[in-house]
Amino acid sequence: MLKIEKLHAAIDGKEILKGLDLEVKAGEVHAIMGPNGAGKSTLGYVLGGRPEYEVTGGSATFRGEDLLDMEAHERAAAGLFLGFQYPVEIPGISNVQFLREALNSQRKARGEAPLSGAEFLKLARAQADALGMDQEMLKRPVNVGFSGGEKKRNEMVQMGILDPKFAILDETDSGLDIDALKAVGEGINRIMRKPDKGVLLITHYQRLLDYVEPDVVHVLADGRIVKSGGPELAVELEREGYGTVAA
Amino acid sequence: MTLDLPTKRQEAWKWSDMAALEAAAQSERAAPDVAPADLFLDIDGPRLAFVDGVFDPTHSRPGPVNVTAIGESSGHPLGKLAAGEGWLVRLEKGAAVTSIQIVHIGTGADNHVPARIELAEDATASLVETYAGTGWANRLTQISLARGARLMRSVRLLQKSGFVSIRDEADVGEAASLVSVFLGAGGMGSRIDGEIRTSGIGAYAEMGGALLTEGDQRQEAAVVVDHAMPEGSSRQIWRAVAADTSTASLAARVEVKRHAQQTDGEQSLRGLLLDRTAQVNLKPELEIFADDVKCAHGATVGELDQRALFYLESRGLTPARARALMTRAFVADALDRIGEEAVREAFAADASRWLEVAL
Repeated sequence: MLKIEKLHAAIDGKEILKGLDLEVKAGEVHAIMGPNGAGKSTLGYVLGGRPEYEVTGGSATFRGEDLLDMEAHERAAAGLFLGFQYPVEIPGISNVQFLREALNSQRKARGEAPLSGAEFLKLARAQADALGMDQEMLKRPVNVGFSGGEKKRNEMVQMGILDPKFAILDETDSGLDIDALKAVGEGINRIMRKPDKGVLLITHYQRLLDYVEPDVVHVLADGRIVKSGGPELAVELEREGYGTVAA
Repeated sequence: MTLDLPTKRQEAWKWSDMAALEAAAQSERAAPDVAPADLFLDIDGPRLAFVDGVFDPTHSRPGPVNVTAIGESSGHPLGKLAAGEGWLVRLEKGAAVTSIQIVHIGTGADNHVPARIELAEDATASLVETYAGTGWANRLTQISLARGARLMRSVRLLQKSGFVSIRDEADVGEAASLVSVFLGAGGMGSRIDGEIRTSGIGAYAEMGGALLTEGDQRQEAAVVVDHAMPEGSSRQIWRAVAADTSTASLAARVEVKRHAQQTDGEQSLRGLLLDRTAQVNLKPELEIFADDVKCAHGATVGELDQRALFYLESRGLTPARARALMTRAFVADALDRIGEEAVREAFAADASRWLEVAL
């Protein structure tokens, strides 16, 4: 579904990804773990299409298409979702307004009919309920004044509404209390654990993996995947630390 | 016609585009390309249409608004040119007239219309003015609000070319309230010029809005609020959005006289550059002689937040839509001051239309 080969990427002239290889097949959940500065967030941004990051080599295909050739909004329409480590606050734009426009923009790009306001609200309310997010928050400006946990729940509500084929979730577990962690974990399973979907979980700690069990765990260090294994690798990392395991 | 216009050497006119004004004044009149019916909003209330500054009775139902010679004069260099026949809203104590609509269509050359709004004690009025067409439209509006009177005024400049100059002179009495909101969303040059004096205790004065410029257009607003009496409050919330090589300028001044204690003033001037070649000038000024006052002020110019744009685009919005949404949100603060929903929505729609073309 997602195939990355020898990917090199830089920001401000500094190379961060140094020949990264990774393949996630449909129906799989992969976790990428690694120490700070290994390039985890860079990987998320490069796959999401953030313009500041420059791809200097290698390739990435998504469902057979050249991902790196698409703009960010085209990647979204193709079914890619990037969950942000730090969701951005946007004053003056309400969640519903933003998400309805985003969904209809994706649908338009795919040649599907737009959802009406009523249809959209029904969908948005159902997703907010499922994630335990107060419906009032749908009307509020995007992420403005939301706590860390509320922002991450909002990311999952967005994912539920947009219903992507593939989600790259960048430290979606950071800043969450246990209840929120559980809600987010269940959200990921409910929305993304499907035979035709895939997930790349970028995380620092093993705790989210207690809720969302990965099929494959990778260790990212210095811009490359240095080790891959089953779920037991995450446990080992948590116990031994990156220094020992990645060495 | 020879014009004795202010020059750039005068501090208060240093950002003005008098060349555009003169060019508009020298343009030829032609058949109008827009009809009054296209410009009136679908709300009940008195309607007046002026074409090239001349009252057009066939498209008007003025109700309590009088079309008459306005005697007052102004010392303002542009305002003083607006003399002769104009319109007058004079309301008795406690009277209310809402949703007065005045449409100005220009076809070329210059036109000058004076206006006067006099609200007696506790009277209430709301009005919407729309400028369309081309040429130079020059207006003087003198406003006098007696104790407890309330006026909501919304003005949109939608001329596709030419120039609009507006001079407001207002006197706000005890516990009276004046709210004026301007939107510059056409292709013309403009100068919005206001002087508001609070002459009674507890007066409330607000003058603000949004100027949207593109191409090589120049628009500006220059507003002075003079707090002459205690316990008054004022707000000047202005947003400027400039694209291409255009210039939008905002000068806002608050004066608090020595005995005007407990004045509460808020001044927020913000500029957004859609292109690096565009220019926004901001000049916030406070002159305070009283010691017990609260005057919050802020002035910032910036570009759209790249992180926020990427966030919106990563959810599927095209770059153009993401920019439009962010820009609309940026000007919303200023336009949200309009009290009537239908008017507020119409102004928001005008701003959106401008954005769709500019972005």
